[in-house]
Amino acid sequence: MPKILIPTPLRQFADKKDAVEVSGSTVGEALGALTAAYPDMKKNLFNDEGKLRSFVNVYVNDEDIRFLEKDKTAVADSDTISIVPSIAGGR
Amino acid sequence: MIKIEQEAWDLMVAHAQKTYPNECCGAMLGPIDGDVKTVRVALPLENAYPGAQRERYELRPEDLLFAEREARKNGMDLIGIFHSHPDCDAYFSKTDLENSCPWYSFVVLSIQKGQFHHANSWLPNMEQTEAAKEELEHPNA
Ligand SMILES: [Zn+2]
Repeated sequence: MPKILIPTPLRQFADKKDAVEVSGSTVGEALGALTAAYPDMKKNLFNDEGKLRSFVNVYVNDEDIRFLEKDKTAVADSDTISIVPSIAGGR
Repeated sequence: MIKIEQEAWDLMVAHAQKTYPNECCGAMLGPIDGDVKTVRVALPLENAYPGAQRERYELRPEDLLFAEREARKNGMDLIGIFHSHPDCDAYFSKTDLENSCPWYSFVVLSIQKGQFHHANSWLPNMEQTEAAKEELEHPNA
């Protein structure tokens, strides 16, 4: 099963695990399985319309899914999904 | 609260002063024990903002992925992000807020005329509408 790496601040919503194996053949399915197993994770990752929050980037191995097939990006058993924040600013 | 150790602090200040008059940015790694986050390692990262970097910074997601992997490799956590405000105070601006992530501490270093002046740490909320000041301990406080 593909593995999702959980960023430290979100582990409190996933029984303190730093990685979770989930079923799913696309990124969307895998994240859906994650938030089904750990419902408190959902509002951190998705807005009320069910879209990924603006500060959330998702990587499959070393690739940003925005440049692949977004939530339809295929994932295999050996793949690792990372949740990476999107951060910028200015004075 | 967030505590920044000497070695990490020196690196953050040096990076901010060297980058002046532009904004700098980077990641902070270390252990989290209950309510206390200890910054043990600072990772200076490139400001990837394509325009005028005197008033803006942008982190590449792949650099943050790298920071997250470094933390895991060393048994630490990604605690937060730091950036500098050249010639203005260490507040959390509207632009900072709108491009923040509520999972992390945001340390802002005020650099005045090229020298470190003061710093604050901020905790933005999920809606990116406000940031609370976090208790910050650092060697220059
Ligand atoms: Zn700022």
